[in-house]
Amino acid sequence: MTATINHYASYVPSEEIVAREIEGELIIVPLVSGIGDMEDELFTLNETGRAIWDRLDGQRRLKDVVDELVQEFDADEGEIEEDVIGLLEELLKRKMVVEVK
Amino acid sequence: MESIEINTLRNVEDKPALFSKKGGELQISGPSLVELLRAVLDKGVPFRFRAKGFSMNPFIKDGDVITIFPLQGSRPRLGDVVAFTHPSTGGIAVHRVVGKKGSYFSIRGDNLPGGNETVSYKNLLGFVRNLERNGKNVFFGLGPERRLIALSSRSSILPYLLSPIWRLIRPFFKR
Repeated sequence: MTATINHYASYVPSEEIVAREIEGELIIVPLVSGIGDMEDELFTLNETGRAIWDRLDGQRRLKDVVDELVQEFDADEGEIEEDVIGLLEELLKRKMVVEVK
Repeated sequence: MESIEINTLRNVEDKPALFSKKGGELQISGPSLVELLRAVLDKGVPFRFRAKGFSMNPFIKDGDVITIFPLQGSRPRLGDVVAFTHPSTGGIAVHRVVGKKGSYFSIRGDNLPGGNETVSYKNLLGFVRNLERNGKNVFFGLGPERRLIALSSRSSILPYLLSPIWRLIRPFFKR
């Protein structure tokens, strides 16, 4: 099932995760299953993923996130937008971020 | 160990994944593991990870997967197995409670012939309540026998008793 993405909505990390930067890498432990599972359910973001994650602060709209990244990174806008939406779909599917209502 | 890379972008083979599943792959230890464990337990959620070391042999073996449950205000009983922040290394240790006095606990590894460690309640992280080996739950002495194990450990005879006794009783405790 694909999550519905709203370009004018803001998103924020869910309460049902623990995220910590460890040795320069962002580690995300989902808690939605009722257990923090370092053996099976532990995720990391690469540098680009981290740049997107850091902007999911509940303030910026998705459109603003894309605009900022276009300014900051030397990449095609369409490609950046696709990256942002692709990552957000994964994060929403796993309940790691939620839309701010 | 399952390891998938979720390509959140397009089906472009050489494009790195923004988001990767790395359960069981990352080697997190020491204070970093304490920080992550505390953050999870503070939310009232258990934490499952692979234990390293030999100090709790034969009950907990190197590479066993343990689940630590939050204390949530409970005080460990004699013989309980607890995770705590090691006073000298700052990393996680998993040993058995062999004595209590006020807010302090005497804690010792089942396989350690040396002295007890004194650990304050605030350094305790949680209870070890589940142990898996090769994908199966295994017994590790948390029933009524835990008191006997704790007392034997406190008097430094446990490591000498364990090997022959363990060989005899182990088949009966397999779950």
